Amino acid sequence: MKNQWTEFFGGIITVETRGKGIERLINTLTRSGILIWNVKRHGSESITFKIKLNDVKKIRMAVRDSSCKVRFLRRTGMPFLFKRLLKNSGFIVGAFTFLLVIFILSNMVWGIEIKGADPETEHKIRKELDEMGVKKGKVQFFLENVEAIQRRLTDNIGAITWVGVELKGTTYHLQVVEKNEPEKPELLSPRNLVAKKKGIIVDMFVEEGQPKVSINDHVKPGQLLVSGEIGKEGQTEIVPAKGEIYAETWYITKVTQPLKSTFHVLNGNEKQKHFIGIGKWQIPIWGFGKNEYKEFEAETNTKHFRFLKWELPISYTNTTIREREQEVRIYSNDEAFEAAKISARNQIKNMLTENAKIKGEKVLHKSVDDGKVSISIHFQIIENIAEAKPLIQGETE
Amino acid sequence: MAKKWGQFIRKWMTTNMELPQDVMMDLPRITMIGQIHIYIENHRGLIAFSDKELRLLLKQGQLLIKGQSFVIKTILPEEILLEGKIDQVTYISE
Repeated sequence: MKNQWTEFFGGIITVETRGKGIERLINTLTRSGILIWNVKRHGSESITFKIKLNDVKKIRMAVRDSSCKVRFLRRTGMPFLFKRLLKNSGFIVGAFTFLLVIFILSNMVWGIEIKGADPETEHKIRKELDEMGVKKGKVQFFLENVEAIQRRLTDNIGAITWVGVELKGTTYHLQVVEKNEPEKPELLSPRNLVAKKKGIIVDMFVEEGQPKVSINDHVKPGQLLVSGEIGKEGQTEIVPAKGEIYAETWYITKVTQPLKSTFHVLNGNEKQKHFIGIGKWQIPIWGFGKNEYKEFEAETNTKHFRFLKWELPISYTNTTIREREQEVRIYSNDEAFEAAKISARNQIKNMLTENAKIKGEKVLHKSVDDGKVSISIHFQIIENIAEAKPLIQGETE
Repeated sequence: MAKKWGQFIRKWMTTNMELPQDVMMDLPRITMIGQIHIYIENHRGLIAFSDKELRLLLKQGQLLIKGQSFVIKTILPEEILLEGKIDQVTYISE
């Protein structure tokens, strides 16, 4: 015989019957196919039993014919539980609203902290952030990611060299490095300035120390340029030599440029795909269909939802697939030569410091073979060749 | 005469063909689990029920069960499961 627990889902009614001939009533009920269980007698004239909620209507007919009075005592089971749930739905709605509010609040921007910027720059940064929509009370989900903010700030604000943007919970931390940071007065030890390369001096600017060379002098690497010993013979004083010595220096750069080169270009066709990620699973929500591009670049942008301080395993991913085409560029000899010159120039610029200038260039050698143009260029560069060399007390030149 | 003849045949069949007697002869099948449960199949309806006594109608005669704190766990047209402390089971023939 089966247990009646499954009836819980359909709903159970406890019935109390009073009167005479209850046994007869039970017989008629069972015969008409009503399931009865847990029959108990309470006193001489009352019996309670349980029936299914569905059988309540059937019981009426049988009761009418008998001389018993029927009362429904208790309702248990899912339908009643559900009803009560509905009645108390305010609590559930409240609980869900609470969670929802916390969820939304945890995904908002609650603070922007800027470190390392003076008030003026900070104001500029705040204005720029405002324009981007990064403000207190904005939902993080709709904002650009940290890298984009970083890029834009660095691009648009001239006063900063670098900005590190970090999102910690609900606060953006911005670490700013300004370009014109107030220079710290250098504490220099006594030193000489010596040449770091060979060259011809074209300009000198000595702040402190005794210049030992003059303009148009040819210097060798290691040659003393500015001495840290000043004063007359016998009354010398040792100071840290300071200054900039500009000299013309020479470099030879060799560059080979293939005539035929292949590279990839994006042709503008793109496809967007959106996913909701739960744990490891990525569920596509928009942008179905297979990727029919032969060559493509995919860019994925993932945003995580957070709850309080935790990152939820739920994320939103937007993938952009861009079609790529291979393009072959064929240079004529002259064009290849020009391109090689440009790349040589870039190469030399990378090697030099910021305030170095290219004074002149001269192509030494140019050849085409095996589908490649190779050139070597001689550059004349004006740059600071001064290098500090500490002066040790008692050392003689 | 005819009824008795039929009964005779049934009895003969059950004894000689090894058929279950409750099926053949409409007798109640009573299963008891210690004192606490009694399960009766093939009854013909409830006559009286209280927490100390259960009286069932059978095809022939009645079944009287006495004990304490009776609860009918389930009742179907031909089956009944009674729970409680069963002291005695008695057949009452007419």
